[in-house]
This record gives sequence, structure tokens and C-alpha cells, in this order.
Amino acid sequence: MSEHDHDRTVAPMVDEITDFEVLEIALRELCIEKGLFTVEDHRRFTEFAEHIGPTPAAHMVARAWLDPEFKKLVLADAIAASREVGVDWLEPTGFGTPSDFTALHVLEDTPTLHHVIVCALCSCYPRPILGNSPEWYRTPNYRRRLVRWPRQVLAEFGLYLPEDVAIRVEDSNQKHRFMVMPVRPEGTEDWDEDQLAAILTRDCLIGVALPKVGVTTNAITDTRPAIHPVQH
Amino acid sequence: MSTSENIRPVEQVTVAPLANIVERQQVWSRMAAKYGVENPVPPWKSSLDGICDALDHGGCGPEILSFVDRRNEEDTLSATVYSTLPYPENQLVSLAHSLVARGVIDETELQHRLAGIRSRLQAG
Repeated sequence: MSEHDHDRTVAPMVDEITDFEVLEIALRELCIEKGLFTVEDHRRFTEFAEHIGPTPAAHMVARAWLDPEFKKLVLADAIAASREVGVDWLEPTGFGTPSDFTALHVLEDTPTLHHVIVCALCSCYPRPILGNSPEWYRTPNYRRRLVRWPRQVLAEFGLYLPEDVAIRVEDSNQKHRFMVMPVRPEGTEDWDEDQLAAILTRDCLIGVALPKVGVTTNAITDTRPAIHPVQH
Repeated sequence: MSTSENIRPVEQVTVAPLANIVERQQVWSRMAAKYGVENPVPPWKSSLDGICDALDHGGCGPEILSFVDRRNEEDTLSATVYSTLPYPENQLVSLAHSLVARGVIDETELQHRLAGIRSRLQAG
């Protein structure tokens, strides 16, 4: 191997110490020194943040589409169904019960009822099974407007629902988390679990998109500054 | 910290070291573009997530800054003092602001620590 091989194979990095990088280290060190949490706490939660993602949730829904018995379990006891796709809500971080332990409910869409999730208070999200929430989910703009004008907000994601489809917005809270089981789309009749899971994107499981043959990525959504309804 | 100070809206507290950071605008999108890096989020993002979770669950973190207060102040500060910063930079700076505003971290102490870490990272 030539000594220059790495020049061609290693991805570029930001070769500069940024203020934000320094600030993150400073905050972490000061919090640990002041006893707000321990190094071990931080390491474990960081590892948790790094390994979670939407794959287990996509497989849970895909399997439910294929297996009526599993679907019954998903709708009756989503915590038990989560274990079948490798997520233990009692110990998602592997070291005890975090506040993410909640009642998980999977909301089943029908041809005339569409669900979408939000956390109007802050940004509660089914992280153990769906990963970290997207930036827009955390914004006051999404949180305030979805509960008031769901049809309009969904349209901003490119999801235009006919008037005869009712929309139910489910508000998460500290104890109850939700995710959506969309209607299985046409054209997927002979698909297996992996193929189905590929079109069950994070956005579909939040309810701001519908699964579609050929679509395996999330929408890119501009976040907007919040406008307080009292002031406007 | 006295009760009267607690009543002061968090966005009216000024934190000089954080204002300096905002001014320099070394946000990830700009730095990544400068160096041709494609990662959508900065490398410190998961560690920041770890800090937030550890604060919410570990030791005396929740007593000092509860989850709901942390998120409310992040929203307020991201819409006001730090409105020029994108996410997750605004989350990081807002958290630092909340801890300074509560007197958990002293502003001078933060300034010294930032300088110390920078010189450590730039050494050799």
C-alpha cells in the first residue's frame, strides 16, 4: 500500500476547531464536574443516541402488513411487538429505565382515517424505535400549527389528503408515545418484509407522508420561525 | 440565585462568551461546505444528545434544569437571542445559556474553560 492511499480513501473532515465543538466539550466537562451527571451516564446516553434509528419501526409495520397475528399484537401491545423487532422499551439504553419508557401505541390508518403524531408541549417522540426526531418535529411552528391546521401542514410536506379522509392528530406526552401504521400501498402485493420496510420511511411512521412504491427517502422540509398566534 | 433573578425572562440574560460564538458563525453548514464534508450534522451532535439525556435522567440534573424548562427555554432562545443559528447549534448554545442564567455555570468560568479547551485541542 502506498503511503498516499489514505488521501484517496478517507472522507474529508473539517480541519478546524470550531467554537461549537469547543462549547460542547466545555458544557459536558462543567456539568460532570458540578455533579449534574456522570461520565458514565453521558457515555451511555451518547451511545444510545448513536445507535437508534427508524429501522425497527419500519420492520414492525412491514411485518404487521404481512402477518395478521403480528398485526394484532402490534395494535394490542406495541411494547411486546417492539421486542420482536429488537427494541426493549423497558431498557432501550441497555442500562435501566429512562423516561422514554412509556406506553407505546401504534395508530392504524384506514382508507378514510389518517393519523399524524406531534408533541405540542416539547418534542416527545418514540425514540427507541424511531430514532431521534427530525429537526422540524421539534419546532414550535410544526407543533402549534399541526394541531390547528393539520390538513394545511401536511400539504406543506407534500401530502394532500382528500376531504373524505379524516385526519387525527395524536399528541404525545411524557408517558404516551405514538407511531403510525399506514395503509399498505397498492403495487406491493408480492413484496417481502425488507422491501416493505424500505418504503416505510420515518416520515410515513410520523404520518407526514404515505408509503409509496419507489420512495425510500424522507421529504426535505424547510423549518420556519414560530409565529405566536397571540401576537399575530 | 435570588427569586427576582429567576423571574427575569431567560432571553433577557446576556451571556458574553455565547454572543461571541454567535458572531463568529462557525456553524456546521458553513464549515462542512468549506471543507467539502457531507455529514448533515456536526460530529458533536450525538454527544450533545447525550448531555441532554444525562441532564434529564442523571444525578441532580433534573432538579437544576427540568426537561420541560430546558425545552421551553430552547424554543424561546432559538426564536430570539439565537435566531441566527441553525439546529443543532441553537440547541447547544441555548442549553449553555440556560445553565449560565441559572447560575449553574458562571460566565467567567465558561469563558476560561472555552479558552482552555481551545488551546488544548489546538496543541500539537
